[in-house]
Amino acid sequence: MSSRRSRGTTTLTDDQIAELVSKLQQLLPELRNRRSNKASASKVLQETCNYVRNLHKQVDDLSDRLSRLLSTIDDNSPQASIIRSLID
Amino acid sequence: MSPQPSSTNPNSLKIQLAYQFLHNLNNLNSKRSNLATTHIRQRSNRVKIAAYASMAYVVGSRRAWSRAILRTIRNRRMLARNKRVDHKITHRPRSAKRRNPKRDYVDPNGNSGQEVKLRKLVPGVEKMDACGLLDETADYIKYLKTQVEVMKNLVDLYSTI
Repeated sequence: MSSRRSRGTTTLTDDQIAELVSKLQQLLPELRNRRSNKASASKVLQETCNYVRNLHKQVDDLSDRLSRLLSTIDDNSPQASIIRSLID
Repeated sequence: MSPQPSSTNPNSLKIQLAYQFLHNLNNLNSKRSNLATTHIRQRSNRVKIAAYASMAYVVGSRRAWSRAILRTIRNRRMLARNKRVDHKITHRPRSAKRRNPKRDYVDPNGNSGQEVKLRKLVPGVEKMDACGLLDETADYIKYLKTQVEVMKNLVDLYSTI
């Protein structure tokens, strides 16, 4: 990547932008199914932001659920021994 | 301790993340005060930290986002140990650049708003050029997605009691 380091200002060539945008597009669930890869860069960025926020929120929710479940788990349950055998 | 990722095969990645996450969770359970007795909010927070820590440990220092997470974790640990002493790590060097007007520069594509938001969401990319930013974001998303899957699987496993 030959873009100049200039503190957040973009001096990319169009090709580089297109390449990175399509790379991100592959990862985003909503945009992946569109046939065209003509999604604008700003749209992709916007979807990316939303997606990252969504994933953060999922981590929060799952952490919450996991912490509740972990506190109730019985040490002698089969699940606990599976987990222990995986770690050791 | 944790195996270095040798390929980007999604399944092997998931296994590495799962291993690391379970390891961290186990430490949570045994080392500090018993999970069951601490406040629910604190418990949830610790699990969340364990999740981000797993991602960062598996990637190590190869990525800006993982380095940033590891830094945050280590700072937290130092803070926890120096509870009685005045915190040395209160001033964050980043704050000096936080109001940098250059960040609101509108590039030819008009991406300024979104780019700024993205920089706040992904750790470690505040000073990166746009090219690196997108690259880091793609990598971060990949690991975040897999971590979420690991956690979902764990919740399912623990729920079937």
